[in-house]
Amino acid sequence: MIAAVGRLSAIRIARSSRLWLSLGVWCFLALAFAVFARRDGWGHGADRVLSSFYGGLALPFMACAVARAAFGGRSMTSSTAPLVALGVSPWRAALASIGVAAVATALVGALLAASVAVIAHGAADPPRGRDAIASAYAGALGGAAYAAWFALGTTIGRRGGGRLFLLGADWLLGGAGAATAFATPRGHLRNLLGGDSPMNISERSSSAMLLALMAVCTILACQNARRR
Amino acid sequence: MIALDRLSARRKPVSIKSVTIDWGPGIHAVVGTPGDGCSLLLALIVGAARPRVGKVRVLDGAPTDARVRPQIARVGIDPSLPDALRVDEALALASTLRGEPPRAASERLSVLGLEALSRRPVDSLSRQEARGVALAEAVTSSRVRVVVVDEPFSSNDARAASRIIEALRAKSRSGCVVVVATASLRDAGELADDYVLLRAGAILGKTTSVRALARMAPGGARLTILARDALEAKRLVAALAGESDVAGVELEANTVKVRGPDPVTLARAAGRAASEAHVDVVEIRAEPPSLAEARAAVAIEPANALPVAP
Repeated sequence: MIAAVGRLSAIRIARSSRLWLSLGVWCFLALAFAVFARRDGWGHGADRVLSSFYGGLALPFMACAVARAAFGGRSMTSSTAPLVALGVSPWRAALASIGVAAVATALVGALLAASVAVIAHGAADPPRGRDAIASAYAGALGGAAYAAWFALGTTIGRRGGGRLFLLGADWLLGGAGAATAFATPRGHLRNLLGGDSPMNISERSSSAMLLALMAVCTILACQNARRR
Repeated sequence: MIALDRLSARRKPVSIKSVTIDWGPGIHAVVGTPGDGCSLLLALIVGAARPRVGKVRVLDGAPTDARVRPQIARVGIDPSLPDALRVDEALALASTLRGEPPRAASERLSVLGLEALSRRPVDSLSRQEARGVALAEAVTSSRVRVVVVDEPFSSNDARAASRIIEALRAKSRSGCVVVVATASLRDAGELADDYVLLRAGAILGKTTSVRALARMAPGGARLTILARDALEAKRLVAALAGESDVAGVELEANTVKVRGPDPVTLARAAGRAASEAHVDVVEIRAEPPSLAEARAAVAIEPANALPVAP
């Protein structure tokens, strides 16, 4: 039953040519950066590419695109309406859609992060295999958190335009050194990918914060989906 | 199967006040405009709106119960179908979500003559086609026990239009409740077993027959008689002139419209006239009053409002 509820979002993702184009562009750019870092022999090549371009630009934009596709480019209420019309509760329909978006973003995020870590690996980076696994973990966790973050944005505005608002908020508030970064996925993802940490918290705490952000955003988004 | 008990609700700018209705199996019409609260009433029945006061019971539970939800289908003016899927995939998903065994899409769509839409992407359907698909899903689902339709004859695919009445009647005969909301008394009269007149969110009257509806018209009952051609229609008009039960006759090409005190008496008079004039009548149709006439009649004479039969 849960799989059936999530099927609509999964098919929306699989059949969205706009999404695949967007993912292709961001993956190409991230891998191109990784190749440059390797060619120029950066000592912390993987760390630098992952914490700057991948974590700061590629993953948030890819997650936003995945969320957009999973919700059919519409608001949460409107995108879950076909499922609700067939007898699924709004809460469950929203949860399934967010789950599919989170899994898809986590997969893409993990694969790209591991690829970047392998390609851009520099002399001062941790061992290649371990770094790829740690990067994949950070990419998956960050991707899932971003998916929930943008799912919450989907409940704002008539057509779910709140996604772009939260993309901007994440960019503005999640900058290095800002205390507000504590409340954004960007700050914690940067910490996990070897960049500055928000309020000097540990990587483990950032992981927990990403999980907490994901849970809070998911619950708020599901609650908002019930108001129709 | 549907019990609304002193129901009041508000969804700006519409509200409904103290509505009490009990509906069992059959086709029931709510007659009024969306501004009168018809759409809000349907939304309350399907659990898409919450009552302020009063209770909604559908199939012995709240419409939002996990057990009840899959047994309710709503066909709105702009129905929500699973986008990104083909029609056959959407119907398969609907079967899974409603918890019923899957059936071939073309078989389900054939109820409304829409089997050609089976392989079409849902995104490519016009509103009329989408309504047809949603209606076919609702009436062919073995799990759905309550079907709620907004304006059943408006915005429909031409292929489906002629089959809607039979499809909804077949569904009601199988023991299901069909509720239609319409602003047209003619549509309600064609389809429903009983009628609730709604105005400004309050029940103005309840009737149980087209005859009662026709009586509501201040000018009496009206019939439209369709002759084979204009010549036969003229002969019919001449024969009708001798009928004392006919108060007025209008002729337009092969269509004759007659007025009289009572629809049954009028139909008998029309039959006699057709027989005398040796006219082959293609169709005789009772013309219900307009919504405004029905409202005015109920307001003037509350006796026109009949209780709905249990």
